[in-house]
Amino acid sequence: MKLRLRQGCAGWSFSLPILGRWDAESWGARPWDGTKEGGTGVELWAWLQADTEDEADLKWLTLTNALSGLFCASLNFIDETRTTRPVMSFQPEGDHGSSLDNLHLLHGVLPHEIVCTENLTPFLKLLPCKGKAGISSLLDGHKLFDASWQSMAIDVRPVCPEGQECVLQIEQTIDMVLDIERSKRPRGYTIPRPPPGHDLKCNATKPYHSGDTCFPSDFAEGQDWSIDQIFGKFLKGTCPLTDPDVPPVCIHVPERRDIFTTANAVELKNPDGLSRCYQVPSDEQFSMILPRMSRDGDNAKTIEDETVEPETPLLYAERSFTGHGQERGGVQFILTNPSPDTSVEFVYMESLPWFMRIYLHTLKARVEGQSGANDGIIEEIYYRPALDRARGTQLELRVRIPPASTVFLTYDFEKSILRYTEYPPDANRGFDVAASIITILPSTSLDAPPSRRKISNLRTTSLLLSLPTPDFSMPYNVIIFTSTAIALAFGGLYNILVRRFVGANEGPETAAGLKGLLAQLVKRLSTKFKGAKGKTE
Amino acid sequence: MPNVQSFNALRARSYLLRLPLFTRAMIAVMIAFALAGLQGAWNIQEWGALIPRELSITTKRFETEFGTLTSLALFFGPLTTIPALIYVFFDRFVLGANHAVLGASLWVFLLLGMEGVRTYKTNPYLVIGTYHVPTWTTPLFMAVVVQALVPGTSFIGHLCGVGTGYLCTSRPADELARNKRAMPRLLATILTLRRDPRLLKLPPYLSLLCIVVGVAWLLLLPLHDYSRRTYISENALLPGQVHTYFGGSDQNVFRAYRHEVDALKDKDNLEINDELENIFKTIGFKVGRQNYTYHSAGNTYTGENVYAILQAPRGDATEAIVLVSAWKNVKGEFNRNGVAIALTLARYFKRWSLWSKDIILVIPPDSRAAIQAWVDAYHDSHDSSTIAALPIKSGLLQGAVAIDYPHEGRFEGVHIVYDGVNGQLPNLDLINSVNNIANGQMGMHSFIQEKLGHSDKYNDRLKTMLRGMMNQGLGHAVGPHSSFIPYHVDAITLQPVGNGWHDEMGLGRLVEGTFRSLNNLLEHLHQSFFFYLLIQKDRFVSIGTYLPSAMLIAVNFTIMAILLWVKSGAVGVSEPTEVSTIKSKDTVENKEGKEDLAAKPPTSPAVEREIYLPLGIVIACHFLGALPLFIFNHTPSYLLAPFFLAFSALNIFFPSLILNMVNSTSTRPLTLQQFFLLKCFSLLLLGMFLSSLATLNFSLAFLVGLISAPLSFARPWPETPIMRFGYAALLQIASPTSAVLIGAAVYASSLGSSGAGAAAGLLDTLQHILSEAAFGWDVWGLYIPVVVWCVWWPAWLVGSVVVLGQPNMKKMKSA
Repeated sequence: MKLRLRQGCAGWSFSLPILGRWDAESWGARPWDGTKEGGTGVELWAWLQADTEDEADLKWLTLTNALSGLFCASLNFIDETRTTRPVMSFQPEGDHGSSLDNLHLLHGVLPHEIVCTENLTPFLKLLPCKGKAGISSLLDGHKLFDASWQSMAIDVRPVCPEGQECVLQIEQTIDMVLDIERSKRPRGYTIPRPPPGHDLKCNATKPYHSGDTCFPSDFAEGQDWSIDQIFGKFLKGTCPLTDPDVPPVCIHVPERRDIFTTANAVELKNPDGLSRCYQVPSDEQFSMILPRMSRDGDNAKTIEDETVEPETPLLYAERSFTGHGQERGGVQFILTNPSPDTSVEFVYMESLPWFMRIYLHTLKARVEGQSGANDGIIEEIYYRPALDRARGTQLELRVRIPPASTVFLTYDFEKSILRYTEYPPDANRGFDVAASIITILPSTSLDAPPSRRKISNLRTTSLLLSLPTPDFSMPYNVIIFTSTAIALAFGGLYNILVRRFVGANEGPETAAGLKGLLAQLVKRLSTKFKGAKGKTE
Repeated sequence: MPNVQSFNALRARSYLLRLPLFTRAMIAVMIAFALAGLQGAWNIQEWGALIPRELSITTKRFETEFGTLTSLALFFGPLTTIPALIYVFFDRFVLGANHAVLGASLWVFLLLGMEGVRTYKTNPYLVIGTYHVPTWTTPLFMAVVVQALVPGTSFIGHLCGVGTGYLCTSRPADELARNKRAMPRLLATILTLRRDPRLLKLPPYLSLLCIVVGVAWLLLLPLHDYSRRTYISENALLPGQVHTYFGGSDQNVFRAYRHEVDALKDKDNLEINDELENIFKTIGFKVGRQNYTYHSAGNTYTGENVYAILQAPRGDATEAIVLVSAWKNVKGEFNRNGVAIALTLARYFKRWSLWSKDIILVIPPDSRAAIQAWVDAYHDSHDSSTIAALPIKSGLLQGAVAIDYPHEGRFEGVHIVYDGVNGQLPNLDLINSVNNIANGQMGMHSFIQEKLGHSDKYNDRLKTMLRGMMNQGLGHAVGPHSSFIPYHVDAITLQPVGNGWHDEMGLGRLVEGTFRSLNNLLEHLHQSFFFYLLIQKDRFVSIGTYLPSAMLIAVNFTIMAILLWVKSGAVGVSEPTEVSTIKSKDTVENKEGKEDLAAKPPTSPAVEREIYLPLGIVIACHFLGALPLFIFNHTPSYLLAPFFLAFSALNIFFPSLILNMVNSTSTRPLTLQQFFLLKCFSLLLLGMFLSSLATLNFSLAFLVGLISAPLSFARPWPETPIMRFGYAALLQIASPTSAVLIGAAVYASSLGSSGAGAAAGLLDTLQHILSEAAFGWDVWGLYIPVVVWCVWWPAWLVGSVVVLGQPNMKKMKSA
């Protein structure tokens, strides 16, 4: 790819803003172990080959600007205050050979960037079939951005097969979580008007149940859906450029779940009984229908027959602000290790804006149920303090959480007062603080399950920091008032003072046009000359 | 009349050249000083500055400073001193500000003023277009332009200079200034004016005028000309611009939920919360629960909050809006329909995907303590030993709406309750939006301050405003929303009232519309007013209009304090031994020692003020205020009323007790000067506290200022016991304890107890009020008790001591 040749860029990952937040309690572990998603706002990290830091900064600038144009995202706003150089958090992907030494890792994030359809188009354009065939034909701005959670990411990494020239591999990922009930609403009827009374799903066991009284039970019942219902269209075959051995559609459901598909699709069941895939003919439309499974009757099905229990995540993380007021605040970070027997080790990285001045000495770790601080669980701290208006704070902590426990990490910070011009137009909204990134380190023990042997990521939600904000209307009023006063009083007086008013008939007769101008110039020059002469005498 | 032709550049230059030599010299000196001021070796500005407060507060500084001014006047003529005096008067006494001025520009403006008048005599008008501008206004223009262009200049100072210039020229001042013989005469006139006893007689009347104008000002506010129509300031809100769809089969769901709520009516808190948690989970909300315990006045308030968060489907958890529906409202009524409608709305909100902010539904067991615990814990300012932290949280709270709906049957309109704890108010935009949606979209009536059926006449407007001021002054929580406001979360409570044709779904749609508006917000509500008095649902008085009334009342105390300071420095009120050394026998015959000031030669030195004893007494009284504050916040509620009555009884004798104590411990009884200083310090503090309080809680400052107005005119009456005891009795009526008792009596009578039960009813009411105050102190964090016991009560105490004091005048006379 041209980008790499020009910039010596040894792989980068770019994630467009995610929408919504991952509900780990209901949805379990994140897709791809969280490695293919960013936080709220756009996030970019790259390994750059450079001899010096300055060279790396220059390449980073080029990269951000190039990607900004490529993906219609404001990546060029990632300046030095938003750029960090993670030390412990990210690992380079792909083959880098011996060149690891002069690789610089740079990471930047714009927390207040919002995803938009204009980001989807360039994303689809990178695909071989450009969204015309295959599963990408389902991607439609209306459905994609109505999801409860959605993430788009692009990873580029160098791959060096033995004895061949290195190539770059690009991987594009889209993840969505859909609310089935909301997605099933037909297009054009998206307003959730109350359904007619007879369509309500009621709990008839209630004693007061009657025609006009209905205790709703719609959330407890099973779901039924089909691809064309949810996406509003059918899957348009497969892209002929793809590897025919990889089935395009896979679904994680128990074996007992009934699924009907359109004709000619071949079902391939996974031996573990928890997923199945479908081979789709390349030029036919495809859909699958998952009917409602009756909960009573002869062939009663339970919730276990309908859905697979999601995998428990390795760690639950939640971050929030504490305190109130315009001067100080605090951050509380709640981490829960759900595993009953294994401890979790991870790196927690926070890149904070410079106007949020943290007090590192207030960093405390406390295990729930234990009194007093337990700073022993923080194994390593990497801290790069902020410089006003030049760079943000970077804080990386290596923490180990004992099994089945909840840890509270807290620290305090001070809010700075910005300069008048540094406030954004919507100053009273507050300032977004980027999500903190948690990298769960692979377990070193030999008997760890496979999910523990690889790196996984986790991101918290972003935060909204309200800073002391001046009343912007006041300077505006003052400026207007002063300008008016000057314009009226000063301007008028000055005008009268410097101008000589004479009657039209008394004025000197001047020839019009160029001739007149020349005559005036000559006259002025001559008087000046005379004046100078007079002085010297 | 000169025409415009005469104004050319030549003319302008000649204008400059024709300026008297002295004016030009002054300009040169001024520039030289400005240049000297650029290098920072010695601070010219501080050296030469005239700072009003330093003149009046520092002991003896006033005299020395005045000496300097007088000597300066000998050099520069009275023309500097007069504007300086006017300036000090304006800046300190009228505006209450304290700005330093530098003299040089003053002189220039003074001379420009004189020049302006002289020009006016020859050329009366300057013609700009068709307008005839009098030429004497040019210096004023200059003053405005200089004020606009040069930072840190004193506009008032310049105006004083120009004004003096005008005055001097209107008399033949040119001759006066040049004629050195006239100067001592003028100087003497000024000094006589300064020593004029009439000047000292003025402040009490001025003070009274301040009070009268302050009260009249407030009474003018409900008039049409002094209030404004409300308007939506925040464009993002767009109230009433969306269709609301709540209704239809949601009514069936509502009825079911109401059956569920009815079934839980007599259950205990935990059982209720278990059931509510189940309902929330079936709707698809995240549920959290929180335990709290409060102790106040010997009572324990404990319970468990249940709340649920609807995570905005596409939101990023940075912002949230809150819907509160307490199980019981502030009056303790079962909020049956409110809880059911909140549950139905929650289920309805879940279906929308447009929410940009999380929606938090809180169902606290009561509307007073429980919601406070929740809000405190949300902002992590709770006491973690008695109040649990919240297990789940969302982002910044952007607004809160509480539903208080025990009303049965169809309703006519909604009552919007907006007062917050400590008299803070929500942003006016929120109230306006609800009004707008209710009136414009739903066709509902809306009311404020329990004034149903507002006639839009002066009477109703005044009543509405006074009720609002009462709520603000008391600072208590009037609904579950009140606890949110101190955290800068704008909140209101909606109460359906009256008999009309609107049903529960109508209220639901109103809440839906309000939430849609709040959901539109891009920034925190900040555009509209936070300080206002509503006189009607759609008319308000803004802070700039109403604040002067409380400020005037506060200023009356300051004026009296300054007068007393000046009087205490005057010869005659101090120790007779010192006086006798200065005065001749015949002047001592003057009773107050005021009249003799005029006759006295200006060279007489001022007397030393004995400030330490009065200052000590005033400070001690203020610290003594901590005692009742502690007692009434830490007494079990059943003892509160007896304690208070005992304290009130004791309070009657407190001033004489303090007076006797001081007189017996110090070597000699308090002198008249010390009484003056005592009152001076006390009033100075009161004025200061009230004027700063007026910016925080206008109504409280106004009420306290009004009731303690008699303190301004308190003085020792050593000769006339009738006056003394009469005024002492008046002060007893205006004491904080009597005010509480009278308030309790009025409240009890409004509740309707009469006859034999009246006394018992009064005791009960008193106990209710006091335990409410203690509850406010412990739970809501009210600062009103501090104002009453540490600001008002000490001021009253010192005032009463002053009235009862009998400085030994005979001794003075015999000296």
